[in-house]
Amino acid sequence: MIDFHTYPAQIAELIETDPDLPGAIADVFGLYMGPQPLATYLGHLDEAGITQAVALPLDCRSAHGTTVFSNEQIASLMERTDRVIGFASVDPNRADAAEQLVRDAEEYGLRGLNLDPALQRFDLTDRDLAYPVYAAAAELGIPMMVRCGINWAPKGLSSLGRPLLLEQVVHDFPELPLVIPQLGWPWVDDAIMLAVKHRNVYLDTSVIFSGTPTESLRHVVETRIGRELFDRSIPRQVLFGSSYPRVDPKRAAWAVGELGLRPKLERRIFHDNAAALLFKEAN
Amino acid sequence: MRSIVERFSVQTGHDTEMIDITDRVKEIVAGTGVANGMALVMTMHTTTAITVNEGLEDLEDDITEMLARLAPEGRDYRHARFLHSDGQMAVNAPSHLKGALLGMQFVAPIADGNLVLGARHTIYFVELDGPLERQLVIQVLGAE
Repeated sequence: MIDFHTYPAQIAELIETDPDLPGAIADVFGLYMGPQPLATYLGHLDEAGITQAVALPLDCRSAHGTTVFSNEQIASLMERTDRVIGFASVDPNRADAAEQLVRDAEEYGLRGLNLDPALQRFDLTDRDLAYPVYAAAAELGIPMMVRCGINWAPKGLSSLGRPLLLEQVVHDFPELPLVIPQLGWPWVDDAIMLAVKHRNVYLDTSVIFSGTPTESLRHVVETRIGRELFDRSIPRQVLFGSSYPRVDPKRAAWAVGELGLRPKLERRIFHDNAAALLFKEAN
Repeated sequence: MRSIVERFSVQTGHDTEMIDITDRVKEIVAGTGVANGMALVMTMHTTTAITVNEGLEDLEDDITEMLARLAPEGRDYRHARFLHSDGQMAVNAPSHLKGALLGMQFVAPIADGNLVLGARHTIYFVELDGPLERQLVIQVLGAE
């Protein structure tokens, strides 16, 4: 099982390397829990049956004057455990963002790009600032996660992360795998429309808004999407994501398991689709 | 009379887990040098518990199964929402309810420098929402 969506925001061994990180995690992400040892993070993965997890950093130096994990820090986490799949983040508001993405992805072996327009405060359709970053990701052949939907961070402006803003981007970068987390909630229809139409648009299951992950996911899948749509139209485009530490991976995994999907589809969501995207495994 | 407060941590490995802490508690009590008095063992977390029972694996399984029956997942709990004070989803009502059922403290006398326990008493730290690193406190009150 691969978790496509975790932030290493509670890992003590990482946080202790940078005295600015505790404040940045609280101020930018709005996460106020104390740190835990790396053993806890790995224990969470074990308890959920997860073998590897994507670790996401965020570069929001222009908007908030900080990174919440630099690419280098993610690389240092990868040195501590081979169960972490590191992504990069760059700040599209900075002129050197595309160049930095290429450099860091190659130097540190980072396998994807994470962007969060709501927190990084950029326009997804900006051809001058954002498009060079998209082009660099496409050139690198790495997936790009764009945090769309509700943004729980206090400083996040969710309106900047409406999935429909990505429509022109998808048209302009048809080879760039683009991941929309949390099924785009509350703009589920927009996210589904993009995924149904475009094979390079992926959705992750980390939807949480009220109730347990099981309740949130079931509500969205059964009343907004229709369970059959996953199987019929986008079986290779749905990824398991927990959104840790907003929610614990075990409950996020239970939520997918309790949907009662066909075993082949469930296997794809839990593993095969992510493995194809990250490691080019056959699917 | 002396009052000594000691803290220690436990790294749990599972969602639900009963961890025998008897020897650790005895060791800490002995280290205080208190000969006669009492010891309070308390967990610092509301989704964990302290309980005492016979130290048998079958009973551990029966206790955790009982807790799952009494506070099952999937019910219409109110504590299932975004918790702004943590920045996390609070979706662990069953863990809190199990903790409330078992309790979070244990007290035992100290006599002649030893913790007084029944022959079949095992002190358990009970993880109810792991894995996590957890903190426990022991307060020893008494005289040397």
